[in-house]
Amino acid sequence: MKIWDDLLEEVKKNLPDEIECELKLMHSKSALTRFANSQIHQNVDEESAEIYLTIHKDSKTTTISNNLTAIKDVGEFVNKALVSLEDSPIDKGWSGLPDKSNSYEGFKDLEESTPDDRAKVVKEFIDEGKSMNAAGYCSTYINNYFVWNSNGLNSCDSSSSAFIDGIFRTDTSAGSSHRGGQTLASLEGTAAGFEAAKLATDSQNPIDIDPGNYEVVLGHEAVSTILVFLEVYGFNAKSKIDGMSPIIVGEQQFDEKISLVDTPEDQDSIGFKIDASGSKKLNLDVVNNGVPQSYFHTRRTANELGMKNTFHELFGWGENFGGIGTNVKLLNGDKSFEDMISDVKKGIYINEFWYCRVLDPITQVVTGLNRNGSFLVENGKITKPVGRLRFTQSFISALANGNVESVGNHSRYADSEFGEGILSVPKLHLKEFNFTGGVSG
Amino acid sequence: MFEYLELAIDSAVNSGAKYSDARILISKSRNIAAKNGEVENYNESEKIGIGIRALVGSSWGFYSTYDLSKPSLINAGIKAFQIAKASSMVSGDDLPFADVPVVEDSYTTPHDENPFSTSSTDQVDLLLRSTEQMKKLGSSRASGRLDFWDTEKWFASSQGHKIYQNIIESGGGISSLAVGDGETQIRSYPQSFGEYRTGGWEVIKSFEFENHTERLAEESQRLLVAPQCPEGTMDLILEGSQLALQIHESVGHAIELDRILGWEAAYAGTSHLELKKLNQHKYGSELMNIVADATLPGALATFKYDDEGTPAQRVDIVKEGIWTGVLSGRDSAAVAGVKPGGMVRADGFGRLPMVRMTNVGLLPGTSSLDEIIQSTENGVYMETNRSWSIDDLRLNFQFGCEVGWLVKNGKIIDMVKNPTYTGITPQFWGNMDMLAGEEEWVFWGTPNCGKGQPSQVGHTGHPASPARFKDTRIGVRG
Repeated sequence: MKIWDDLLEEVKKNLPDEIECELKLMHSKSALTRFANSQIHQNVDEESAEIYLTIHKDSKTTTISNNLTAIKDVGEFVNKALVSLEDSPIDKGWSGLPDKSNSYEGFKDLEESTPDDRAKVVKEFIDEGKSMNAAGYCSTYINNYFVWNSNGLNSCDSSSSAFIDGIFRTDTSAGSSHRGGQTLASLEGTAAGFEAAKLATDSQNPIDIDPGNYEVVLGHEAVSTILVFLEVYGFNAKSKIDGMSPIIVGEQQFDEKISLVDTPEDQDSIGFKIDASGSKKLNLDVVNNGVPQSYFHTRRTANELGMKNTFHELFGWGENFGGIGTNVKLLNGDKSFEDMISDVKKGIYINEFWYCRVLDPITQVVTGLNRNGSFLVENGKITKPVGRLRFTQSFISALANGNVESVGNHSRYADSEFGEGILSVPKLHLKEFNFTGGVSG
Repeated sequence: MFEYLELAIDSAVNSGAKYSDARILISKSRNIAAKNGEVENYNESEKIGIGIRALVGSSWGFYSTYDLSKPSLINAGIKAFQIAKASSMVSGDDLPFADVPVVEDSYTTPHDENPFSTSSTDQVDLLLRSTEQMKKLGSSRASGRLDFWDTEKWFASSQGHKIYQNIIESGGGISSLAVGDGETQIRSYPQSFGEYRTGGWEVIKSFEFENHTERLAEESQRLLVAPQCPEGTMDLILEGSQLALQIHESVGHAIELDRILGWEAAYAGTSHLELKKLNQHKYGSELMNIVADATLPGALATFKYDDEGTPAQRVDIVKEGIWTGVLSGRDSAAVAGVKPGGMVRADGFGRLPMVRMTNVGLLPGTSSLDEIIQSTENGVYMETNRSWSIDDLRLNFQFGCEVGWLVKNGKIIDMVKNPTYTGITPQFWGNMDMLAGEEEWVFWGTPNCGKGQPSQVGHTGHPASPARFKDTRIGVRG
């Protein structure tokens, strides 16, 4: 890409000798078509080009970032970093630059979708529930990422992704669904719309039930939220360093039916094949039959803990966020959704969680609510829709040994409290889940 | 910059847009994070670009780019129109758009010391000293952060607006985390995630971090051995910053007109409020007077014009417990038949402007925190937010705080840990029976309000003083 080639050449020209340097460019084209009250009301398209320059010398480090237009003169940009470096304190956590053996070349010229293409997918979704009120979005992303460092690494990669996410509402209910993939063409707008419409229709006129411990079957989005909390607060090595992670590698913390992998090397995975440092990502066993195998590391967390880097550095988040897996899959079990429901004596099916927040990171006690389709299950059958419930539940205990009755046999990309396209999960049947409040508080 | 904007706007209008406006922003930020006496993150950033929107029929089309060349600006206008036009495949009635005065004006945030002209070494040193001191006093993790934003914004519209604003914001905070046997406890100052205001380096100096390090380190460790917050229904006393978040979540979001109209239904949610009940619905007790005021000097959401060219203003939201107003923009106000409130802002040049809280605050009462505690027989005084969750109608909420203080017979008798409370919005606000006065009224700021798709982060203000809520369910645990 010409803007990268030009930038890199100029930065190299202006860099003094004997300085460690890392240059990154993220070029993105993103578009999102939003609908509400069953019509498209907001439609946006953005092109961005963000540059990060990190330099290190004499145990000091500094990072400055500008977008392309804000760099009027590359020499001035480099000089600004050099001045900032002089004022910087000693950086004891500096962990060096990956070398050229970590380089990866994956840049591709990817084709953009048009607003008409997105409107078509939106229409497919909305058409599945014409008598109801639809809201949601269809989005597409093309990202190109370039990293060069003075230790010989020169990496680039391109990725595309697309999502449809929406709800249908009636006067007394709502139902939602979500699909994600690498291209707009791979999305099943009609299938997502059908699922959401059915949930909204079936969950009309819900009953209130008393809070308490219930057996639950969790839909894809609910499962995804549990796992993303464990990722951010538990498997993130930064949490381990801060003494806040509940995860103990090598210990049977989860039910043996739980196996979690990070699969950036898989062809169907969304996102880059390199992490923010430009190093090629590798598939990783995260939980094997209930036993945690690894944290998600960056260069710095691996260095600080004396562990092996797993290449999970995120672009644009700074050094203080830590590492996150962005291609995480919960491995399928053998139960169909119908079989899961038939195994429930008295419990609740929850399609999606809402507004979850951690009360204490080290116990992973989280509070949140259900949303967009919840049903009472009695003697193996869905009997009635249920209203709003508040849970206060440890997510570690939710997946603990003996609490996972079964794992579903079908996975898909699911939205989560921390975003989309990072988790592909099946449904889960859990023995107990603690609801602490109902409609009346 | 105005000639650049006109080029893009003319291009959109000539393509067929009914209305178009555009903003060019130069956004500078400086973010510093420290941990245990060492810098954890230091980043300076500058972004320049244009965002243009075009109204066609029932939809907005929005396009943004970093490229300010002439061909790119013309293309931006055409693209904004084309994007809006593509919505016609799934369209509705034409979107009305309220008129506001067409002005040419400029504004700069009043400030003493521009934080970008202040030595970054002084800023870093402040965090290093504070966190090092807390670490020495036994913190497991002593953290601090400072954030500064300097945003220059040129706005023009197809109706003739030409407005330049330079908004300067500063904020930060420190915290001490204590790790015990299977639990963590934290104390933060001035509030969790820091306190943010419009203004310069003087904002940070006024916090006097150095006078609070010892207390934070001591309280965080003492919490590890403190008893659990009791469970039950009793009086709840909220410190100002926690009440500010309570206002944000259970009032501020509920009164956003785009939510009430269903425009945010899929993501942020809707509201329990129905427009037909405006000026009738009982939101809380007679002590409850909420205003949205974008003109408060020094508050975080203070400006002169919003991102649609509407003047900043003060709007009554709740008067003596009755719901009287909403947060609105030019399109939502026209749909609802109310006056545009000047409450539409965007997160940078690359995002579509949307309804955003301004300084949505609870006007002070006549009591004081001391009086409130002295008149409480059985309750818990809670300080500093630790967790927050509320449903998509903004009714059913649960909050956790960093520290609780057990109040018996008019006195604080013990520290308690893991304090939480839960409630339903109108009942909760209906139970507010004591409210501290102007001396304890603080312009709390929230710099991390998420809303919209693509996601936007908003900066909102919430003036508040401590208050008491009778008969609240306290001590919910998993």
